[in-house]
Amino acid sequence: MSLPPALRASVTPPELELIACQELVEIIPLIAMEKTAFISGAYGPLRPPHKARIPIWMAVNLKQKKKCHILAPEWLTVEYLQDKILQETTQDEFTKLPFRFAEISRVLLDAASDDLQNPDKLRSLLKDLREARQAKARAGLQSLEHSTLGLSNLSAMEINEIRPFFIEAMAVLGQLRP
Amino acid sequence: MSGVDSWEAEFHRSKTNANAASGPSAPRRAPSALLEREDQPMPDFLPEEPLPDETPLEQLTRHWMNERHAPDILPAQDVLLSSLLDHIRRQSDTIQLLRGDPSTSEEEHIRIMLAQTEVERVKFIVRSYVRTRLYKIETYARYIIANEEVQTRITTAERDYASRHAHLIDRHFYSSVLQSLPESQAGLDDIPNFIMPPMVTEPDTTRAVFAHARKGTIARTPEGKTVDLAKGSLTLLSFSAVSDLVSSGDVQLV
Amino acid sequence: MNDDYFSIDAILAENQKVGCRFKIDIPDMGHLGGGGERDIAWSNTLQLPIWLVYTVVLSDWADMIMPPAFGNKVRNALKAEPCSVRLASLVGAGGLWYGFGKTIMELLVDKKEMSELLTNTFRKRLVEVIDQAQHFAALGPAGGTGGSGDSAQSFREGLDGTERELFALAQEGSKRMKRWYEEGEKARR
Repeated sequence: MSLPPALRASVTPPELELIACQELVEIIPLIAMEKTAFISGAYGPLRPPHKARIPIWMAVNLKQKKKCHILAPEWLTVEYLQDKILQETTQDEFTKLPFRFAEISRVLLDAASDDLQNPDKLRSLLKDLREARQAKARAGLQSLEHSTLGLSNLSAMEINEIRPFFIEAMAVLGQLRP
Repeated sequence: MSGVDSWEAEFHRSKTNANAASGPSAPRRAPSALLEREDQPMPDFLPEEPLPDETPLEQLTRHWMNERHAPDILPAQDVLLSSLLDHIRRQSDTIQLLRGDPSTSEEEHIRIMLAQTEVERVKFIVRSYVRTRLYKIETYARYIIANEEVQTRITTAERDYASRHAHLIDRHFYSSVLQSLPESQAGLDDIPNFIMPPMVTEPDTTRAVFAHARKGTIARTPEGKTVDLAKGSLTLLSFSAVSDLVSSGDVQLV
Repeated sequence: MNDDYFSIDAILAENQKVGCRFKIDIPDMGHLGGGGERDIAWSNTLQLPIWLVYTVVLSDWADMIMPPAFGNKVRNALKAEPCSVRLASLVGAGGLWYGFGKTIMELLVDKKEMSELLTNTFRKRLVEVIDQAQHFAALGPAGGTGGSGDSAQSFREGLDGTERELFALAQEGSKRMKRWYEEGEKARR
């Protein structure tokens, strides 16, 4: 079978995670490594204790072997997220967030919570942020018509959750036209 | 050449090779080097903000997602695909060499492990991209063999596959049902009359997609309405309104 | 709602019966109405499946009677409280109220009015559909008494086939997300 049914309906969260992990993150390496040509690019050299930027999948790999510390991206802090939640709940539009913030935050919290400031608080803030935005996406349905809908600043994971529903709803509206 | 030397050679090779992966640490290539735009002449005036440079892997990732979300088959990226497959093969060869070498250090082993992990990641994306296209080809096989325009978007191998698949299905329908029907009812190509849908399944290009504008552009809906797509914006609209923009790379599907 | 030639749903939806008042006599065709009559006489009303109604109405042999599913009583209820109308009870087994409405619309001269009825109803109920679907996904398999109790459950039971499909799509999307988030949490413990 060419494409299993589960994959036909939608892109899966693990696939989004795969893509998100190609993005770069800053680390403090605990081992040395020469500059190396990987398929996605040249990374390194790693010269402890100097910081380096490598893809998240690589950083997680090294972290799991205890060969590096991961540095939180600037948006993954309590202050930043609290700020965003305030913005989110006081304006109609979606606030601007990194497109793959849900995937990246989950991966980093899982692999490197000891490197992050207050991981439990971060998790709970992210949950609050998600719920505020989910409610907004539902409200956005009121303006759904058969041809266009603007949804700027929705993140990858959020789009993925509602995509099949929104697409089908739009299709139905198209068919109900005279 | 020893294991580590071949690794170094690969590194230098990728630096000098214009089409190979060059990550964020390498100098930016000019926009006209992007594969889709190679045969388009650069205008005399400065274009408003070139599209961000992408490594081949980033390009494939974008094409993969486009293909997953598009209701129709998109133009095949066989040049990109074969160059990446080449790269995978070279990387795998280097890995094999280094693994077999007893003199490799612990740090080397970590490098090898990382390279292996990456190869698996890239292979996953390549496989999924190819499978997605195959699924569409199977679903629309009969439509493809009758439609020349679609055939320009698929590779020769895919065309052959479509043809074989369509004939397989036809034979199956015929031998299981159609041969028992009167001849006038045994066709699979009936022309649709007022409310019946066509017998040959066609891709539904009116289906909505989430379009992310990589640069400011304008889309035209099937009814003729124009929609402004500001750079960075996200819009849910009919695929047919953006299909050209997706092929040109101005819009990507998310 | 599928326009694919091979869609089983679309084929089944066309079995919906509609009343037709005949404008001419047609001998020996009485069996089409299901009753014991041998002939169809002028002004007889027969309940015919939609796929047959197209031919009969478009050939001007009969006029279609607006089915009760789209009658005034229903319209008024939908205008007042769209979410409290149980669309599933208005159409037979397999209930596709919107699909039925769409096929009727093809036979009407004034399509706009019917289209507005269907579209407005759909849009107003849509928010409630996704609301409940996402809530259900959050509660997990044990969340049987979810939603705000009786009215929510009644709404879910009253969903037409198309809305049910949408409910499932929203629920599936949320479940997949939730599963992915929990994977992370399990790995941590």
